[in-house]
Amino acid sequence: MKSIVTVCLSAVALVFFTGCRTDYDIEEVAPAEFLESSGGGEHVHEEFAAAEDSSTVDEHMEESHAGHVHDAGARNHGTQWFFNQPWAAPFIWGKLLRDAVIFLLLAVAVFVVSGRRKRK
Amino acid sequence: MKAVYTFSLMTLHMLFRRRTLWGILLVILLALAGIASVPSFDVSNQGRFILDFGLFGIELGSLLLALGLAANLYPRDKETRTLMPLVAVPLSRWQYLLGRFFGAAIVQAAALLVTCLGLMLILLFHKLPVPGDLLPATLLIIVEGWFLLSTVFFFSFFASPPLNWPLTTMLFIVSQMSVSEFTGLLPSAPGLMRVLRMILPHADVFHIKDPIAHGFSIEPVYFLIAVFYGLCYSAFMLSLALAVFRGRDLK
Repeated sequence: MKSIVTVCLSAVALVFFTGCRTDYDIEEVAPAEFLESSGGGEHVHEEFAAAEDSSTVDEHMEESHAGHVHDAGARNHGTQWFFNQPWAAPFIWGKLLRDAVIFLLLAVAVFVVSGRRKRK
Repeated sequence: MKAVYTFSLMTLHMLFRRRTLWGILLVILLALAGIASVPSFDVSNQGRFILDFGLFGIELGSLLLALGLAANLYPRDKETRTLMPLVAVPLSRWQYLLGRFFGAAIVQAAALLVTCLGLMLILLFHKLPVPGDLLPATLLIIVEGWFLLSTVFFFSFFASPPLNWPLTTMLFIVSQMSVSEFTGLLPSAPGLMRVLRMILPHADVFHIKDPIAHGFSIEPVYFLIAVFYGLCYSAFMLSLALAVFRGRDLK
């Protein structure tokens, strides 16, 4: 029972860490330019921008996304799944490090608290 | 620390003598050979296909190894009553836990390195290039395996081995989910789900198979951060396991 209380206390402690309240879901915390460059913004190509009917634009975009490849250095359409991974998102590395330090501190705290309880 | 070192060596020898390890290793290697024999169909590069699925197979292997090696260590020690004399005199409870963990972790790492070597040989056999980042990718899977191992130890102190397997597998699956996917499991309580997701590990940190398969290079600093994250989370799970173990009445 005491162990469960320790686990719950650890969880509550994590929640109360101000810096820990924001998770690092890449789609949520990514800067706009990152999402745009990975195709998340679903930019409209100039050749279709002039079209008045939005359904026509969609049809053209579907066709064009399936068929064309961007120049080297620019990300292609439909590659968000690839670039929305931690290795490709340096802006979350700091948050990763922060979480690691918090978990390490919690590990030390749980170790000390559980040992002290035993001695009593 | 000498007691931990000695006990981990004893654990290591004991685990190497068990057939479970060799059975799981054989299954992983057979699976890798099977993956290599599957035609890639419309995937343009057969090497990319083998690498991607091969590393995924090794990751699943790390889960199998963690469960196969550690799920019944503590229950068996308790059942055979070898635990009582151990923790009564030569070892404290944290030394017992660390000794068992380090022994199993070394065995698991060695087995995963063998599977990595197997994947390299399969690539060479098919006359495909072996990427330089294959070893770092395997090392990250080893760290993920250690996290799974610490989770198995945590569950083993209050759950029987048949229950430990689904619990750890569930945590493995959940830890692969993004925040939005996880909150989608219970949309009526997004706040609770977000807090839970924050406490659960992010296993996607250890996945670099996609960039390797597609020829992208990984920043060394990311590799170090991911290893540090995995080790810290493993330490956290071990401390929770120790807290449960310390509260256990062994009589």
